[in-house]
Amino acid sequence: MDSLRNSIKRLNPLSASDSDFFESMPFWLPATALVLLFVYGAIGWNVIISFTGWSGLGQPDYTNFTLEMYRQMPSDPNFMASLRNTVALLVAFTGVSLVVGLGLALLVDRKIRFESTFRTIYLLPMALSFVVTAIFWSWMYASNGLIDTMLNGIGLGWLSQDWLGDPRFKLAAVIVALIWQFSGYCMIVYLAGLRSIPNDHYEAARIDGASTLKLYWRIIIPQLRSSTVGATVVLMVFALKAFDFIYVMFGTNPGRSADILAVTMYREAFSSSEWAYGAAIAVVLFALALTIIGPYAYTQYKRGAL
Amino acid sequence: MLQATGAVGLAAFAGCLGGGSEAGNLDELLEDDPDEFEALEIGHWWTAGGEEAAFEALIEGFEAEYPDIEVDSSPSPGGAGSALETDIKNRVVDQNPPSTFQIWPGQALTEYTDEDLLYDIDGHVWNDEMREAYLDGPIDVSRPDGEFVAVPINIHRLNNLFYNVDVVEDADVDPESLESPSDLLEAMEAVDDAGFVGMAQQTQSAWSTMQLWAQVLLGEYGADVYDSFIEGDLEAVESEIRASLELVVEYSEYFNEDASSMNDWDDASDYINTGDAAFFHQGDWAAGQYEGEDDFEYGEDWDHVPFPGTDGMYALNMDSFVFPKHNPSPNATVRFLQYAGTTDAQERFNPHKGSIPPRTDVSDEAFTPFLQDQMADFEASTEQPPSVTHGLAVAPSIQTDVEGAFANFIDNWDVDETYDDLVSSFD
Amino acid sequence: MATTTDDKSEQTDTETGLELHRVALYGALLALVGAYLSPLYSGLTTAFKTQEAYRNTSPLQPPIEGVTIDPWLTAGSELAFAMVNSFAMVIPAAVLSALFGSLTAYGLTKVDWRGQVFVLVLFLAAVFIPYQAVLVPLRQFWSMVGLSQVHPRGELVELTITHIAYGIPICTILFRSYYQTLDSELIEAARLDGASLARIYRKIVLPLSLPMFAVTLIYQFTQVWNDFLFALVLLSNRSNYVVTLELNALQGSMATNYSVQMAGAFIAALPTILVYILFGEQFAKGQTL
Repeated sequence: MDSLRNSIKRLNPLSASDSDFFESMPFWLPATALVLLFVYGAIGWNVIISFTGWSGLGQPDYTNFTLEMYRQMPSDPNFMASLRNTVALLVAFTGVSLVVGLGLALLVDRKIRFESTFRTIYLLPMALSFVVTAIFWSWMYASNGLIDTMLNGIGLGWLSQDWLGDPRFKLAAVIVALIWQFSGYCMIVYLAGLRSIPNDHYEAARIDGASTLKLYWRIIIPQLRSSTVGATVVLMVFALKAFDFIYVMFGTNPGRSADILAVTMYREAFSSSEWAYGAAIAVVLFALALTIIGPYAYTQYKRGAL
Repeated sequence: MLQATGAVGLAAFAGCLGGGSEAGNLDELLEDDPDEFEALEIGHWWTAGGEEAAFEALIEGFEAEYPDIEVDSSPSPGGAGSALETDIKNRVVDQNPPSTFQIWPGQALTEYTDEDLLYDIDGHVWNDEMREAYLDGPIDVSRPDGEFVAVPINIHRLNNLFYNVDVVEDADVDPESLESPSDLLEAMEAVDDAGFVGMAQQTQSAWSTMQLWAQVLLGEYGADVYDSFIEGDLEAVESEIRASLELVVEYSEYFNEDASSMNDWDDASDYINTGDAAFFHQGDWAAGQYEGEDDFEYGEDWDHVPFPGTDGMYALNMDSFVFPKHNPSPNATVRFLQYAGTTDAQERFNPHKGSIPPRTDVSDEAFTPFLQDQMADFEASTEQPPSVTHGLAVAPSIQTDVEGAFANFIDNWDVDETYDDLVSSFD
Repeated sequence: MATTTDDKSEQTDTETGLELHRVALYGALLALVGAYLSPLYSGLTTAFKTQEAYRNTSPLQPPIEGVTIDPWLTAGSELAFAMVNSFAMVIPAAVLSALFGSLTAYGLTKVDWRGQVFVLVLFLAAVFIPYQAVLVPLRQFWSMVGLSQVHPRGELVELTITHIAYGIPICTILFRSYYQTLDSELIEAARLDGASLARIYRKIVLPLSLPMFAVTLIYQFTQVWNDFLFALVLLSNRSNYVVTLELNALQGSMATNYSVQMAGAFIAALPTILVYILFGEQFAKGQTL
């Protein structure tokens, strides 16, 4: 922290600073160049491709540009459906994961024994690949899998469903599995937040005679705002990337009820060779991510957290 | 600004390293008697069961013929060929294709021929002797743009209706007498009343239902209507398409209850083995499931009729091999393609694969009684409509969209929406 | 992790309520453990069952009759070459992106230069970019470079370099936040003594960075090992498949054989599970930036 403040204070371009700049270049320039090339260069290139109308197995024509790819989106029912699903996935997955994660954090934060064991277990799914979890969950959801078996076992057999086949449940089934995988992450973010709340806040509230519930509602939850914001950004980005999971479970054509932009993009570009259209969908996805990342990066920058 | 510079830089950097040039036709490329051969790399997705055995038998035959050529099998399993398709496309775009690869003939090839990525193999592989031995349907799909670019290795029939003999007898239904897909619906009602599943089907992935619908359209309205559809003239046959979709929706009432949680056709076909269902539609590869079952005899326990209304048709699904440009081993590739077009190759490959040879002059001795009947049907067939489900009939970008339309169809069984989706698939 | 010393819960517990309260708390915690482990549990029981036992017993039931390790052998032999490929890719990718991240963070933290925050904003944004936004150009780029034509393993090198480039931003951010907490006086003093930046890095910063290297290496190892999308787009030759890709192929070809699928999933996940169990604290640290 200090060094940053110092360096901002000492912004006047002294010669020492200049030589610092040149001397430090070998350290940061190669990596920065790689990132500019692979990340930002590629993003720019993708935008350019989205204007070319490129399809098929030839090469793109960089002399003719068209907005056609973007124009056809609103009338493409698959695109619109996957846009809707993407937003639904974002909202439901992020919201529920935060609530579950907060619940876990509050439970774990109650001076329990074996705390680290509990934490380890709740966070474990986070260490697994989407491919692995998709395989576990397709077995969970199978007609003789664990979920329906348990429902039958406790006399709720009528509740059992064709989770992965029925369009009403497909997307929800994906969301539940994702929540399983990422709620542990929310838990550790919230735990860190809970443990940074100064003790005297509790004491003061208690002296005022606040009940436990009020204590949480009035004192603790508001103090977790920055944890919530950070976790939300990360979760939304995970949600945008839910591609692997759906691809492994349903392939490139999950049907309109479970299609998301990430899958539509891949299908158009890499299955149908509609490269430009795929690139345009990627631009939309990127713009969506930017509306989440942009404000976050800006506030981090403002707060001097960088 | 930074991004634009980055993009230009990336493109420029990459441009410096692009691929080389390539001969325009095969005459310049091939040697009559090369001293040695480069290894022959074959891309395919025949990685399990009978398919694997079929491919091995084919390679064995080829190696016996050409002991100097080393064969390097390059399988891409998964996704019923979609993994291979993506892998191959990537490599073709990279100008780094395998020597040859498995691909559906017909319109599926146009993606490659549009960019001039395949050699014309007329003369080098296709000759009068070969042309004599092939029917028109297989010849047409080998030259989607007029030039011969593919050698078909097998044919699967799609317009099949399999049935369990005991079950249809119990339900008092005679499959031979069904003359149209509508008749079949009535038969399923009777079967249902008798307490069996009318039709076994999987509806988790779209292709089985897409294939079923294509047979319904063919059977109910004939090959001309089907042709209008695959040529993209949907308006001319709108009422037929809607009615045939409607019929499939009605069929779905008689599907097994767990149809939508089955990802695999062979789970559904089990209902025929177990005697729980009367009818099953699938490509003729399904026959392997019955032939492999003990005490389950063709003609006695299970049987087959052409899908109602499609008598005299042999709806084609085929695999073929091609000669991609930028070929790593031209002299070996041409010999392999020549071999794939021989009776020997097709006689080795097809019995394992459960398909029939595209050549009509292959002896049927090595084949099962069921396939022998199919071969006779094929030779006598008057029409060989190409499959839309398997990329023979429409270009790949259309085919993906049509499959997408059916992915939605099995989601909501909405005829209007599906019809609109089908129309927009051809835009 | 614990920073508070006061107990927030015990104060609310009266003498009589305490027992019940605690029982309910542990009950809830254990029920959640059950819920979180259930997909792994049903996978594990199934992976040891014969096809017969799998059909006839519920996934809840441990494999008692019809126990077999065949699924593990089948899956293991299918996945073995892909595990090797994964290791060959993940080790250089994790090491190099961590090293680059450390160097970059050092170059941008302990040095006066006004542009550094701008660069860091670019890096922070790069952490969150949906990879779909770069897939088509990435594919184009590597096809033009054509490493795969130079050497049969070229694709794997392409994938490794891609992972390094995409790992740098997160590693840099992680190192940066760590370096900011380092005592800058030591470095300033060395500077005044005329030590070069390189020397300071080697002698002072690098040794102090070791705990952070553990965090970033574990983070990158998990990320890269688990990646599916880049591999799907960049690898087209089966012999180069990494384990996530091969596991997906295995699932495709073993459609109804859940026993083999589950065994395969465990085998593919084993390295990350081991790393997670051994280095749980570092793993958690990497995830929370």
